[in-house]
Amino acid sequence: MESSAVLGGWVATFLTIAIFSYLYKDNPFYKIAEHLFVGISAGYLFSLGFWTQLQPNLFGRLFPAKHYDPDTIIYSIYNVLSIFFSSIFPEGGIDKGHDQHLIYLLPLVLGIMMLLSLVPSLSWMARWGIAYIVGMAAGLRAYGYLSSNVIGQIKGTAVNLFDFSLPVFSISSPSIFNNIIIITGTITGLLYFYFSKEHKGALGTATKIGINFLMISFGASFGFAVMGRISLLIGRFTDLIKFSGADYNYATFWVLFSVIVFLAYAAFKDKNRNNSPNDIQEYSLEEE
Amino acid sequence: MSKLENTFLKIGSVDRRWIFIIIAFVVIIPLLVPIGMPIRATDTSKDVYDAIESLPKGSKFLLSIEYSPSTKPENHPMAISILRHLFRNEHMVYVTCLWPDGQFMAQDALSQVAKGEFGKIYGKDYVLLGYRPGGEAVVKGIVSNIRKLYSVDSRQTKVDEIPMMDGITNFEDFAFLFSVSAGYPGTIEWVQYAADPTGVPMSSGVTSIQVNEVMPYVQSGQMVGVLAGMPGAAEYEALIGDKGTATSGMDAQSIAHLVIVLFIVLGNTAYFIERRKAKKY
Repeated sequence: MESSAVLGGWVATFLTIAIFSYLYKDNPFYKIAEHLFVGISAGYLFSLGFWTQLQPNLFGRLFPAKHYDPDTIIYSIYNVLSIFFSSIFPEGGIDKGHDQHLIYLLPLVLGIMMLLSLVPSLSWMARWGIAYIVGMAAGLRAYGYLSSNVIGQIKGTAVNLFDFSLPVFSISSPSIFNNIIIITGTITGLLYFYFSKEHKGALGTATKIGINFLMISFGASFGFAVMGRISLLIGRFTDLIKFSGADYNYATFWVLFSVIVFLAYAAFKDKNRNNSPNDIQEYSLEEE
Repeated sequence: MSKLENTFLKIGSVDRRWIFIIIAFVVIIPLLVPIGMPIRATDTSKDVYDAIESLPKGSKFLLSIEYSPSTKPENHPMAISILRHLFRNEHMVYVTCLWPDGQFMAQDALSQVAKGEFGKIYGKDYVLLGYRPGGEAVVKGIVSNIRKLYSVDSRQTKVDEIPMMDGITNFEDFAFLFSVSAGYPGTIEWVQYAADPTGVPMSSGVTSIQVNEVMPYVQSGQMVGVLAGMPGAAEYEALIGDKGTATSGMDAQSIAHLVIVLFIVLGNTAYFIERRKAKKY
């Protein structure tokens, strides 16, 4: 087996056991793994975002190789940038198949303004970029929610109670019984969130039925959440079992043993440290 | 009776770390000694299989990868099984990613299945367009003009130079979409901004935790079936007749569930006994 694969196995084993060690209590191994995770994730996300979006789609549209002309102002700026950051701005323009679109200066400026939130005196400029994003997202989502979640779901729940071509009872396929459940659950569930009238009488009964539907739904969500967590645990244990073999020089056993020994030693030291002030106090009281 | 009650109370107040250890053993033992519990496909998994099976040979299939290594045990077997099914039926596979980590998950699955198992050619049989940041804006971009958003693929090759990109300009050029999703942006955004407005059929493989969120779209016909968590992946492996990592994890999953149910029953019994005793005094 390649040494890089073995090393990868040891790193994965260490990080997995370091995270699991939190189940015992917070400790330095967990902190190391947590900080590594956050740092690497942020670095990876930034790097990928830059090289897959900013460089080809933003700079690629502002300085395309197709329209390269060193005599124009924009390409003169480009050539200066090229001296300092040649990998981002290669000689002769960026060749990603785009035409030149100077309108893309607008997102560039908004992006720079957002970064200015790091400068306290100019942080107000960041609001422009944020306002654009919030406005764009609100507009985009309003349409999506309206068509798919409101209209689509109303269509889905508007079932025919008197469709006698369906069987009376079936668990997994459409049936008259399932249609009754859908309609009752939707109406009583919605009524539970109607607060303009006190939940008494007929409304109270309906909301009680509604809350039971909601509870069943929460129970199902909890069940699925447990299932998901167990699946992830299975994934980690499958890897730990793989790394415990001779191919990986018994990484799991060595790492587990080392972590347990360290934590046991730390617990022992902690216990002694916690005991010592009491001992002194007792001694001094006896003396008195 | 009080002896039994005291036992329940003791169980109810056990240190949570003992429960962690028990769960660890319950999961590890079936992984080391598999029992081979039977796996029966549910209707939602069968619907996904039937929809893909009914596509004509050589269909243009969009596969979107929206998960990271944190949900690999649930999502990766789905991606691998779907790819096996697609390449077996000789479809053309276009892979996009809404999550940054999705790109190397896709690379991993493609190198295992497309290159390793089927010997497919990059650019002719499959292409990894890669990750673009922007969530639903990316979905909208693919729907309106994919070439504007993806001028280059994940290898920085111009899409104009990729043979299988001929005739692909927007989402409606695809015959089917399958989203392997672990959250936002993912399946729901594809339904809202792509499948619903265009009418292109779509399906999805999601993590267990998302099932309740996604199920209403399946029930209302906005999606064709769904693969629900690791059991969904195992069911799909059974349907295509190619057992993989999801199938091997199902014994541990089932036994762990039984033990958790047992813990819930014991915990609730202890709680009710405690409550009754508190009322007495």
